Amino acid sequence: MSHLDVIDTLQSIADGVLFGATYSLLGIGFTLVFGVMHKINLSYAAASIGAAYASLIVLSVVKAPAIFIFLLAGLSGGIIGSVIYIVCFRFIPQANPLATLMSTVGALLLIDEIIVHATVGIPVPYPALFSDVIVNAGPFTLRGDLMFMFALGCLSMLLLLGLLYRTKLGIATRAVSQQPAAAQLCGISIPRVNGLTFVITGVVGGIAGAMIGAAIGVLSPLLSLPLTTKGLIVTVIGGLGSIPGAIIAGLLVGGFENLFQYFRGVTERDLYVMLLLFAFLVFRPGGIFSPAAGRD
Amino acid sequence: MDFYLGLAQIVGVHTLLGLSAYCVLLTGQVSLAQAGFFAIGAYVAAMLTVLAGWHILPAIAAASFVAGVVACAVGFPALRVKGLMLVVATLAFGEAVRLFFFNFDYQVARGEVKIGPAGGEGFRQIRFFPEHGWSTLDVLLFIWLFVALVMAALWWMDRSRAGAVLRAVGEDEVAAQSAGINVTAVKVAAMTVGGLIAGLGGGIFAHYTAHIEHAQFGVALATFAIAYPILGGLSSVFGTLIAVIFVQGFLIEGLRFLGDWRNLLFGGLILLAMNVRPRGLIDAATIAGIKRLRIRNREPGNARTQGAE
Repeated sequence: MSHLDVIDTLQSIADGVLFGATYSLLGIGFTLVFGVMHKINLSYAAASIGAAYASLIVLSVVKAPAIFIFLLAGLSGGIIGSVIYIVCFRFIPQANPLATLMSTVGALLLIDEIIVHATVGIPVPYPALFSDVIVNAGPFTLRGDLMFMFALGCLSMLLLLGLLYRTKLGIATRAVSQQPAAAQLCGISIPRVNGLTFVITGVVGGIAGAMIGAAIGVLSPLLSLPLTTKGLIVTVIGGLGSIPGAIIAGLLVGGFENLFQYFRGVTERDLYVMLLLFAFLVFRPGGIFSPAAGRD
Repeated sequence: MDFYLGLAQIVGVHTLLGLSAYCVLLTGQVSLAQAGFFAIGAYVAAMLTVLAGWHILPAIAAASFVAGVVACAVGFPALRVKGLMLVVATLAFGEAVRLFFFNFDYQVARGEVKIGPAGGEGFRQIRFFPEHGWSTLDVLLFIWLFVALVMAALWWMDRSRAGAVLRAVGEDEVAAQSAGINVTAVKVAAMTVGGLIAGLGGGIFAHYTAHIEHAQFGVALATFAIAYPILGGLSSVFGTLIAVIFVQGFLIEGLRFLGDWRNLLFGGLILLAMNVRPRGLIDAATIAGIKRLRIRNREPGNARTQGAE
């Protein structure tokens, strides 16, 4: 392996890790809902893409600088999140995990189809920020748009951690995820916390959707199924219900995926991500950070 | 008329796929690997008839067997985890199978042309039915013969001790284990049976569509596989059949006159169905209702015979 090969390898890992911030955000969304409700929200990645689309629509009506697109995507993500909670979870018995699994699949299909219908099936370009900035660090080049995305991802994760560990709502959320019955006895309204969790994860997902749009350059409903798969893989590798785990696993999956895209091409890339997941399931089934009181 | 025959073929094959997920769901496990087993069955059967020149019957039997063996092998490690972990593990397995066939290139020169699976282009020379002069009706009867066999076998299993054991594991694993049931063995057995049925369905699917490619076996198909039994309800095998007819016959073909709006309604109606009937279209209460109706109809007859005695 020559000197240049080493640099190319490291470069592709770095690009992948920067893009992995979006996977981290998606993983956080899956893991938070799972932690609080012990349910899977399969429509989450589709809702994130939907929020990015919604931000484009708002931006085309209201004139605003392009940086507001992330804020708008977060806001619309929160709204979509609350709608999904109402139609997929609120009125379906909690004891029946299969019913909510199916209803979120229904929501996934519905969101995808609304997007296809609204855009006549044509992928739409998404504005990228700082795409003309390229930082040269020695032999490596770092793309400005990816760096901005990574910074934004880190910022939203810090804000989320602050929300979960420094506010009353965060304490209530963590209480419900640890001991629902005890939390209820302390006067915490479980439906309210569940609903707010969906709003919070929706905001995070909306920002992730906007970041994905900005990094790839186009938005398409075809993105939602692969992103769902990636988000779930990140959740499991990170350890169910663990937010730091989801962050690290997202970056890990991003770097790993880009490394194998460099070595083996785009058609085989995901095959190696699956192998990474199987390796984790066999050797460390609890994920990177498995919660102490691990329930399924 | 051919349209309805074709629709009935689709319903038959999808019923097999749904029933394969039904077996696994009975034990309380959500498996998104069924599309993977389906794909393995499709490719194995098609390669046997096209490349090895087998008859379709041994070919689909072999396909079913291979898929069953793979399901058993996947079942052991995968069932160490449960809940969401299992969903993701099986989803990853299904995707890995799809990506394998995406990169799978095994072409044999036969005269002028090369035949066999060609990676992303798919496998396009599956002509067993036209070559042997089977009409659409013949194919339809062939498919439904297997659907009837599998449904009868599962219906019988449901009424036997095996069905009770499967449901016991599905309802409460800890209670089942303390009643002396080997939970792992039951789950792996259910997974294997699911793999056998999915492989059978896949083998038939490859022959009636005549062209298979990796994209047909993605996450969407895996989701449909578990959607049928969940929508139909897990109380009876007929729930799966009714859900397939509801989805394929009504939602997909029946609403075709709506044009683009059909796809919008599709997701919305699944949402509505789950909100209105969270335990499936045919749940335990419906079955109890049907039984009560039958008993009430029989009662006057019983009374008369008793009176004669």
